[in-house]
Amino acid sequence: MQEKVKDAPSSQFKWVGTRAVRPDGVDKVTGRARFGADLAMPGQLVGKVLRSPHPHARIRAIDVSAAANLPGVKAVVTRDDFKDQPSEFIPAGEMMINYRDVVRNVMAREKALYEGHPIAAVAATSTSIAKQALKLIKVDYEVLPHVIDVVDAMQPGAPLLHEDMITAGVEPAPKTPSNVAKRVEFGHGDVAAGFAQAEIIVERAFTTKPVHQGYIEPHACVASVSEDGQADVWVTTQGHWIVRAHCARLLGWDVGKVRVTAAEIGGGFGGKTVVYLEPLALALSKKARRPVKMVMTREEVFRASGPTSGAHVHVKIGARKDGRIVAGEAELKYQAGAFAGSPVQPGAMCAFAPYDLENVKVVGYDVVTNRPKVAAYRAPGGPISEFAVESVIDEIARKLGMDPIALRLKNAAKQGTRAAYGPKFGPIGFVETLEAAKAHAHWRTPLQKNQGRGVASGFWFNIGGETSVSLQLNEDGTLSLTAGTPDIGGLRASLCMMAAEELGVDLDRIRVQIGDTGQLGYNFLTGGSRATFSSGMATVEAAREVIKEACKRAAKLWELPEDAVEYMSGGVRPAGANAGKHAPMTLSDIAGIAGKTGGPIAGYARINAHGAAPSFATHIADVEIDPETGKATVVRYTAIQDAGRAIHPSYVEGQYQGGVAQGIGWALNEEYIYGPDGRLQNPGFLDYRVPVASDLPMIDTVIVEVPNPRHPYGVRGVGETPIVPPMAAIANALADATGVRFTDLPMSPPKVLAALDEARAAGTAKM
Amino acid sequence: MKAPPFAYLRATSLDDAFRLWSAAGPEAKLLAGGQSLIATLAFRLSEPSALIDISRVPELGGITEAGGAIRIGALVTHAQLGASELVRRHVPLLAEAVPLIAHAAVRNRGTFGGSLAFADPAAELPACCVALDATVIARTRSGERRIPAAQFFTGLYTTALAADELIAAVELPQARPGERSTIIELARRSGDYAMAGIAVRAKIAGSTLVEPNVVFFGVGDRPISAGRAASALAGKPAAPATVAEAQAALGGDLDPPADQHGTPEMKLHLARVLLARALDRLIGHAGARAA
Ligand SMILES: Cc1cc2nc3c(=O)[nH]c(=O)nc-3n(C[C@H](O)[C@H](O)[C@H](O)COP(=O)(O)OP(=O)(O)OC[C@H]3O[C@@H](n4cnc5c(N)ncnc54)[C@H](O)[C@@H]3O)c2cc1C
Repeated sequence: MQEKVKDAPSSQFKWVGTRAVRPDGVDKVTGRARFGADLAMPGQLVGKVLRSPHPHARIRAIDVSAAANLPGVKAVVTRDDFKDQPSEFIPAGEMMINYRDVVRNVMAREKALYEGHPIAAVAATSTSIAKQALKLIKVDYEVLPHVIDVVDAMQPGAPLLHEDMITAGVEPAPKTPSNVAKRVEFGHGDVAAGFAQAEIIVERAFTTKPVHQGYIEPHACVASVSEDGQADVWVTTQGHWIVRAHCARLLGWDVGKVRVTAAEIGGGFGGKTVVYLEPLALALSKKARRPVKMVMTREEVFRASGPTSGAHVHVKIGARKDGRIVAGEAELKYQAGAFAGSPVQPGAMCAFAPYDLENVKVVGYDVVTNRPKVAAYRAPGGPISEFAVESVIDEIARKLGMDPIALRLKNAAKQGTRAAYGPKFGPIGFVETLEAAKAHAHWRTPLQKNQGRGVASGFWFNIGGETSVSLQLNEDGTLSLTAGTPDIGGLRASLCMMAAEELGVDLDRIRVQIGDTGQLGYNFLTGGSRATFSSGMATVEAAREVIKEACKRAAKLWELPEDAVEYMSGGVRPAGANAGKHAPMTLSDIAGIAGKTGGPIAGYARINAHGAAPSFATHIADVEIDPETGKATVVRYTAIQDAGRAIHPSYVEGQYQGGVAQGIGWALNEEYIYGPDGRLQNPGFLDYRVPVASDLPMIDTVIVEVPNPRHPYGVRGVGETPIVPPMAAIANALADATGVRFTDLPMSPPKVLAALDEARAAGTAKM
Repeated sequence: MKAPPFAYLRATSLDDAFRLWSAAGPEAKLLAGGQSLIATLAFRLSEPSALIDISRVPELGGITEAGGAIRIGALVTHAQLGASELVRRHVPLLAEAVPLIAHAAVRNRGTFGGSLAFADPAAELPACCVALDATVIARTRSGERRIPAAQFFTGLYTTALAADELIAAVELPQARPGERSTIIELARRSGDYAMAGIAVRAKIAGSTLVEPNVVFFGVGDRPISAGRAASALAGKPAAPATVAEAQAALGGDLDPPADQHGTPEMKLHLARVLLARALDRLIGHAGARAA
C-alpha cells in the first residue's frame, strides 16, 4: 500500500531506505522486552500516591502519623520532603518548564490545583498495605471554587489558581493577578492593510478539547537509593537525562550520583517527557532505604498526567478572488492545566507556517485552569491552531469555487519564504506534498452517497539538540552501538542502518542499545522528532571516527602515512600511489589487531545537532456521515509527508499512520468529560474513546523525499507532523458532505446531528 | 483499582456447584466467563466473599435441538454461539448479534448465561431473547423453573433469578417459515456497548408484518418491548405511513435516560431511526426472497 515520490535512487544505498528486520521486534512479540513496570528488585517496596479529590483546595494540614505507624509502611513523603524552588523557566523539549511549578506538580504544596494532584506518597511492603496507609492520611482541605474551561478562566473574577500570577508579555505589566500566564505574539507585515485589500474574508471561532496521549503503558519506575547516596532509577521515559536532571534538582542531589536507565517504552507521544513518580520514588527509597516501585493505574494516568491543551481559537483570513491570501490573523487561548506552560507558543508559531504571507499576526494566551498540567503531545500546540487555520482556508477555497489544493499551492511556503514565526525556510517539501496529493488516485476517485472529501496540510518544526553516541568495534569486527535517546519510533533500526551504510558492513554485525545516563554524555530527550535526526547524525560521526581510526591502524601496520590508506566497502586498503602494495584488510581484520596497534577502537560522538528541518504534510480524508444519527466514519485516508529521507520506510509509514489514528480520535471522539464538581468522569479507555483498529480505514501513506541538506542522510524527522492535518481534513470532509462547517471538536454524533438539524431548518444542509 | 479479597472455588459438576454455593453462603457469586464480573470486582462495585467458578461444569454447556426448540447451555460462549450451525439455521438473530458484542477476546470468554444474568440494559443477547420469546431455564439444587424472557429482566442489572438459582440454559423457538429477524445498534466505537439498539422479529407475509416483536436495548433499564410500535405495525404492510406511525408510537414505549452519549430526546430519535432501518431490512430480506 505504499508509494514513493522523489525517492532517492535506491541503488545509492545498501541499507538506508530498505525495510530491514527491526532489532526490537523479537523481544516485543515474545514478551521478553522489559517495560517500565517489569523490573523487580530484591526487597522492593510498593509506592502509592494519595491524590486530591478536589479540583481546587487549600491544604491546611496533612497528618501522616497514623499511616506512618501502620505495620508494613516504611516511608511517607509529603510537601515537607521537597525543598521549594525559585521561579525560573528553562527549555524542556518543545516546552518550557519552571522548577517552582514542577516541585508543586509532583507534590502539592500550598494548594491542590486539580483532581488527582499528589498530596502524599507512601512506600509499604505490599500494595494493600500502601493503599490502607493512604486512607489513614488526614488532609485538612479548604475547598475553593474551581474553573475548568479556558474562556471562563480568563474572565475577571474567575477563581485564581495562583494569586501572584501576573501576565507576562504584556506592556505595561497588569497590576492585578489573573489566570493568564503569558501573552505571545508573532507575525510580520500589516494585517489591517492586508484585510483592506481582501476580496473575501472568512472569520470563525473554534474550540478543541484536551486529549490524552493515550500511551498503552502507564507511568512506571523503580528507584533505589543506597545508604551512601548513590541513586538508581529504572523508568519508562522519553528522556532519562531529563529525568536525572529534574530528580537531582528537586531532591538537591548531585547529578552524578543519580543514574537513570530508560526501560523499553510502551508509547509516549510527548507525555513521557516530564517527571511524575520518579522524584517521589527516590524520596521514598531514600527514607525507607529500600528500592521502591511505583506504577500508575490508568485512572491516575488520566487524572494526573498531561493531556494536551483544550483551546479556543479565533481565525480570520482574507484573500483575493484569485486565491492569493493577503492577510491572516489568529487569536489562541490555550489552557495549560494547573501551571503555566501550554504549548501556545509553538501553536502560535505554527498557525500559518505552511503559507507565504505578507501580513500575518498571531496572538496567544497561556491560561491556567484546574486540570492536570498539560504535557507535550506530538507537535504540541500545532494541531490546534492549524486545525482552525486549515478549516478557514478550506472555507475560502469553497467560497471562491477554487480547488483547495490549488489554493494552497498558490500560497505555499517554499525555500526562501519567510515563515510567519520569523526565519526563512531552507529546502522544504510542502509543494511536493500538495503535488503528490493532486496526483494521487484518491483525489480523483468519485465519492459515494453521504460522503465528503477534505484536504488539509500541516507543519512541524523538528529540533536537534545535545546528543551523544558511542560505537565500539569489538575484537571480532562486530560493533556495539550505544545511543541515549529512547527508541519509540524505530530509532534503533534506523541508527544501525546508517552505521552499516557508513561502515559498509552487514546490518547484523551491529547490536544497538539505549545506554543509561552513566554510559554516555548528555542526551536531550526523544521528542521534537529529533531522535533519528540527532542520534543519526551522531552515529554517522561515530562511525566515521571508527573508519578514521581503522585507517590509522592500517597505516601504522603498513608503515604508510595515514592519508595513504582509504576505507572502502567494509575494509581498508592502500590508496593512490600505494594502491595494491598491501592486501586489503576487512574491519574484522583491523579489529583483531587493535590491541597490538594501539588498543580498543571506538567512536564517540558528542554533538549539539544543528540543522533540523521542518516536515510538511498534506492529508486527504473521505468521511461518510450517517444523516440520521450524525455518526461520521472515516472511510478512506491518505497521508502524504516529506520525510527528508526515509531511513526505514516502514517505520516512517508507521509514524504517519499512528499520527492519523490519533488525529481521527481527536477529531471525532476523544474528550475529557468533567462534572460540575470539577472531577473527571471518564478516566478510562471504556469512556475515553481512543479509536480501535476496526474504527479506522486502511491509512494509505506516501513518503515524499526532499532531503534535508544539513543531515548526512537527509533526515528531517517525521514523528509529529502526521497528527497535525487530520482534524481539519476530517472537518473539511464533513463540510463537503453536509454543507455545515464544524468548528468544535470532537465532532461527535450528537453535535453533528444537532448541527445538521439546524442547517436543515435553515435550508443550508447538503443532506 | 483491584478486586477485594475473595475465596475461589471451582465446581466440577452441577451438584458440586450447588454444594459449594450453599456452603459459601449468600455473599458468594458464580463466575462464568468473568468478562463482566471481574470488572465489577476491580471497580469494587461488588465484594463477594467467594467466587464459585462454574465454567467447567459439563451440564451447563452445549447447543442442542429438542422438540422444535434450540437449547443453549449457559456456558456457551459468544464465539461458540456465532460459530454454531444450529444457531445460524434456527435462531439466526443470535448469530447476527454476536459480532456486535464487544471484541473477539471478550467473545471468546463471555457466556450466554453470564450475559443474561448480568442483565446489562445495553447488552445484545438479553434483547434478542425477549424478541425471540426465549425461555430461561433456571435451576436450584432441588428443581427447575422456566421463566419467559419477557419476565426475566426486572430492572437495571436485575433479574427474576432467586438467590439460590442459576441459569442452566435458554430455550429458543426455532424460526418458523416466513419469519425474519434483525438486530442493529449504534455505538460510538466498534465493540462499545450500544448507545441504542433494536432487535426485531416478525413473520412477513408479502410486505405485511405479522406478530412483530420489537425490542430496544440501551435506551432503558432493561430490554424494552415496544408494544405500541408493534401494534402500529401488526398486520399492516410496512408502507412509509405505517413506519411513521410506529415511530411516533415509540414516544409512548420508551423513556430513555440521559447519559454521556446524549439527551433522552436524542436517544428517542436514534430509536426511531433504528426502527425504520430494521423494518427496511426485514422487508428488504422478504423482498429479496420473493424476487
Ligand atoms: C471490554 C468489554 C466490552 C463488552 N462489550 C459488550 C457488549 O458490547 N455487549 C454485551 O452484551 N456485552 C459486552 N460485554 C460483556 C460480555 O458480553 C460478558 O461476557 C457478559 O456480559 C457476561 O458473561 P460472562 O460469562 O463473562 O459472566 P461473568 O462475568 O462471569 O458473570 C457475570 C454475572 O453473571 C452471573 N452469572 C454468570 N453465569 C451465570 C449463570 N449461569 N447463572 C446465574 N448467574 C450467572 C455472575 O455471578 C455475575 O454476577 C463486554 C465486556 C467487556 C470486558
